[in-house]
Amino acid sequence: MANVLDLRRRIRSVKNTRQITKAMKMVAAAKLRRAQERALAARPYAKMITSVLESLTRRVDIFDEDTGNLRHPLFITREEKRILLIVISGDKGFAGAFNANILKTAFQFIAGNTDKEIDVEAVGRKARDLMRRRYPVAVYSERTESDQMGDNPHIFKTRERKAPVEVTGDHPGMLLKLEQSRVFEMAQNIIARYIHEEIDAAYIVYNEFKSVIAQRLVVEKLLPLMTIGIPQITGAVEQTEAERERAAEAALSAGILIEAADTAEADEEAKKFGTAQVDYIYEQPSEELFAGLIPQYITSMLYHAMTESVAAEQAARMTAMDSATNNASDMIDAYTLLMNRVRQAAITKEIIEIVSGAAAAQ
Amino acid sequence: MADETNQLRVRLVTPERIFFDHAAVAVELPAKNGYFEVLYGHAPLVAELGAGDVIIHGGEGAESVQRYNVSWGFTEVLGDRVTILASDALKPEEIDVPRANEQLARGHKEWDQAGDSADAYTEALRVISEAEAKIASAAEKH
Repeated sequence: MANVLDLRRRIRSVKNTRQITKAMKMVAAAKLRRAQERALAARPYAKMITSVLESLTRRVDIFDEDTGNLRHPLFITREEKRILLIVISGDKGFAGAFNANILKTAFQFIAGNTDKEIDVEAVGRKARDLMRRRYPVAVYSERTESDQMGDNPHIFKTRERKAPVEVTGDHPGMLLKLEQSRVFEMAQNIIARYIHEEIDAAYIVYNEFKSVIAQRLVVEKLLPLMTIGIPQITGAVEQTEAERERAAEAALSAGILIEAADTAEADEEAKKFGTAQVDYIYEQPSEELFAGLIPQYITSMLYHAMTESVAAEQAARMTAMDSATNNASDMIDAYTLLMNRVRQAAITKEIIEIVSGAAAAQ
Repeated sequence: MADETNQLRVRLVTPERIFFDHAAVAVELPAKNGYFEVLYGHAPLVAELGAGDVIIHGGEGAESVQRYNVSWGFTEVLGDRVTILASDALKPEEIDVPRANEQLARGHKEWDQAGDSADAYTEALRVISEAEAKIASAAEKH
């Protein structure tokens, strides 16, 4: 049995750990609050883009009469042979099962599409590290000469596919400082790949975050676009009841609001954008307006996924660190009890020794 | 004529937040094919904005002029209301001029290397016009 000194050392060590996890929890809570604010502040723009696009599709004759589809390359559906999968994970660990769950969902998606060629685009360090370890990085060979179809720049860069699943890109530091311009570049890259038929569909795996107790892991279809304003969720893993309770407890102790902020009024306001019942003057041809807005719409979808993922990561970290702090407290209690028992046993033993020694002396 | 009651409600919304929400007398907007000014009672209009400055007159006090550089935007004009969606909004003093110059150089390089590709020219043109708008906007202040 351990002696008192050992136990005392052990307790001190656990106390130090508790101090650290507690600090990490508070930091995560502060970051979560900021992430939530950012997600909230980004809503009006996204809503406005969506509503003006929606109204343009209703007003404007951009439908193809033959197929009934919108006359825009991103609305064209093709047979899904090559898929782009965007995986949004966290940058750091210590967030419970957050990263593991996202990657598990991504691997399940890949496992369910073995007959297709999949390009993986990783956002967040954890996803990047694991995806790169598992799958080869795409190799491009560049030719500078011009073909007969010299008006297309993408033929200069040819890709040699070696494996069915390849990593085509990662975005280090993207989540660290979420910038619209970088997300826009990424969106443009994806759009170009879709238009040049390098990919037939784009999916995104991320953790949706409405509030601490309303989150789920979703697989959302980004491209081709179907109906503006309606996300195409193809798979979702809801929070379990136990997880939700745990998250609520952690949020409560860190002073985070559990319910999602009320945005009904702001949303209502944003919905009015570009949808008034008047005849607008279109400064540019409506097709042009539509085509100019689409990249922004894709950007806002990606940006939305990333802001929510960042908030979810911080929430997961906060919950995990709250659990760790509680566990440390339990451990300290248990060790303190044990230490007292050991000490008492030692005292009792000493008394017995003295008493029996005295008895023997008589 | 514009008086105290005939004011536009101007909102400038960026992806990050609502940047500006205030009453104003007039707004100058950089549409894709040239600047135009909006006063109270303008006919309903939607337009895509290119790189340039959004200039808000009389936002805070009658004489005030606020200038924001945007590189892409979309605007809805109603009689009493102007809503501007902009991909970013910078005050002239916030513009990083050396970086804009770099961007301009990059744009010209892209232009030279575009070859026969129409897409590459469009992209180069966008980069150049963004950079030029930024530089012009920054120069306006000093």
